Amino acid sequence: MVSREEIEHVAKLMRIEIDDPTIYERVDKMMGYFDILDSAGVESEEISVREIPIANLREDKYIPFDEKLIEKLNHYKGTYVRAPKMI
Amino acid sequence: MNIKISALQFTREVKSGNISVEDFIAKTMEQIHNVDDKLHAFLSLNEKAVDQAREIDKKIKSGGKIGQCLGMPISIKDNICIKDTKTTCASKMLENFIAPYDATVITKLKQQDAIFVGKVNLDEFAMGLSTEFSAYGPSKNPWNTDYVPGGSSGGSAVSVSAFECVASLGSDTGGSVRNPASFCSTVGYKPTYGLISRYGLISYANSIEQIGPLTRTVEDAAFMLNLITGVDPNDNTTVDNKNEDYLKDIDSGIQGKKIGIIKEMIGDGIDPSVLSATKNAISKLEGLGAICEEISLDMVKYSVAAYYAITATEAGSNLARYDNLRYGYDFPVEGYEFNSYIEKARKKLGPEVIRRMILGGFVPSAGHAGKYFLKALKVKSKLTRQINDAFKKFDLLISPTVPILPFKIGEKINDPAALFLIDINTVTANLTGKPAISIPYAISNGLPIGIQLIANSMDDKLLLQAAYALEKTVKLPEVPI
Repeated sequence: MVSREEIEHVAKLMRIEIDDPTIYERVDKMMGYFDILDSAGVESEEISVREIPIANLREDKYIPFDEKLIEKLNHYKGTYVRAPKMI
Repeated sequence: MNIKISALQFTREVKSGNISVEDFIAKTMEQIHNVDDKLHAFLSLNEKAVDQAREIDKKIKSGGKIGQCLGMPISIKDNICIKDTKTTCASKMLENFIAPYDATVITKLKQQDAIFVGKVNLDEFAMGLSTEFSAYGPSKNPWNTDYVPGGSSGGSAVSVSAFECVASLGSDTGGSVRNPASFCSTVGYKPTYGLISRYGLISYANSIEQIGPLTRTVEDAAFMLNLITGVDPNDNTTVDNKNEDYLKDIDSGIQGKKIGIIKEMIGDGIDPSVLSATKNAISKLEGLGAICEEISLDMVKYSVAAYYAITATEAGSNLARYDNLRYGYDFPVEGYEFNSYIEKARKKLGPEVIRRMILGGFVPSAGHAGKYFLKALKVKSKLTRQINDAFKKFDLLISPTVPILPFKIGEKINDPAALFLIDINTVTANLTGKPAISIPYAISNGLPIGIQLIANSMDDKLLLQAAYALEKTVKLPEVPI
């Protein structure tokens, strides 16, 4: 069971404004469905990870882009991204 | 001119001079204009397609170097970037986003002289399995327009099924290529994880999603794989397939191959007509010399919960970039404080995306991570171990692609748990990185049923050979459009 307050807290952290009242019930239902994982009996299971050797990564080098990428942004000034005031 | 031909037939007809690319593309665009008002597969069209076809005809006539696609009309799911083309992800958030570069698959297809006829519909950011969550409205199933075409690559499946192109590229995170392929009676292929570059695919859940082709025939899927697989320095999860030719020996047959029937995928909740079609397919495979036996993978029961916990977490992270500063729509920054601006801007995201982002905030958070995310990763590990063990005994695994028939538009949209369970047969291949294919197999009450085959990692060639053998045992009616 996930409370309304918990949902609102997470939404705030994720910068999401909730204006759909059905979201509480649906998120709770979805989280409730995840409870099935409790009966999977996987406590002692090791988590496998995909390893990629550093040698397989591409070289970290500057590749010139043939256009002014900044011009593709919605909000920019000179060479800076334009953002709303933080304070 | 007959546009109801496969991709390989198209290339043969063009090579032999029986058809011109310009005529074929013009006819295909006419078909789109005739049927797409009803089906809504396309979100945008390439208005230069006929001009591009004319150029390819000129190249052919002059004996110039020409790629293997020879001007083949292909549709592209609208979460794959084509340079200087709108890429919306079926979201209002990206309604005016113009991709500044080509995805690797697009670069490869351009090199082979493919023509992209347009970008096709999906559930917003590929989150869904019916296209009902597209911000631009659902696509309709060409077999019965009251029904969903599946998703999230619903537009891809509809466009292939309704002869609006000869092949399409979709993306498969939990069945998003195979599910609509099954619902619309096309072939849908999810490759081994890493076989196809994801560079230029707008990310949803990077650790499990893959681009895959939707085609009319299994041979066409093999043809497409030949063109788009391989190592890409821009995607370090890609694997070297040593330039495998997936078309070569596709008719090798399946004599002596061992096929496991996944017990958990033909159990509770399966539609009787789907079960009957699956049993029939198994008999056909046995008739072709395969040895079929039941196998249990008990982690399948938990796979959907694990899949949604993992994908929501990755989605929560991936979608954080949509703050409307770098990507987004026209919404001025003046007069807003930073956080409130982003909150307001994100109102353009649809309800399913918002729900999954919130889930993605919960699942890995302090106090919840151990209960949900870590357990989901452990289920993924155990399921992978179980399926690897299964492939020590079997060459292939079989199940219905989807346990139910296509459902009516609106029928399940308000029941997330019911929608989740539709993924039960497809998510295993994604969580374990295995290749899987949906083959059109039967029609019940006018609605298609697909059969899924799964192979071990990098056994894509074997998988296509088996799918080809099964495909040859059925003759299905033409789509009633």
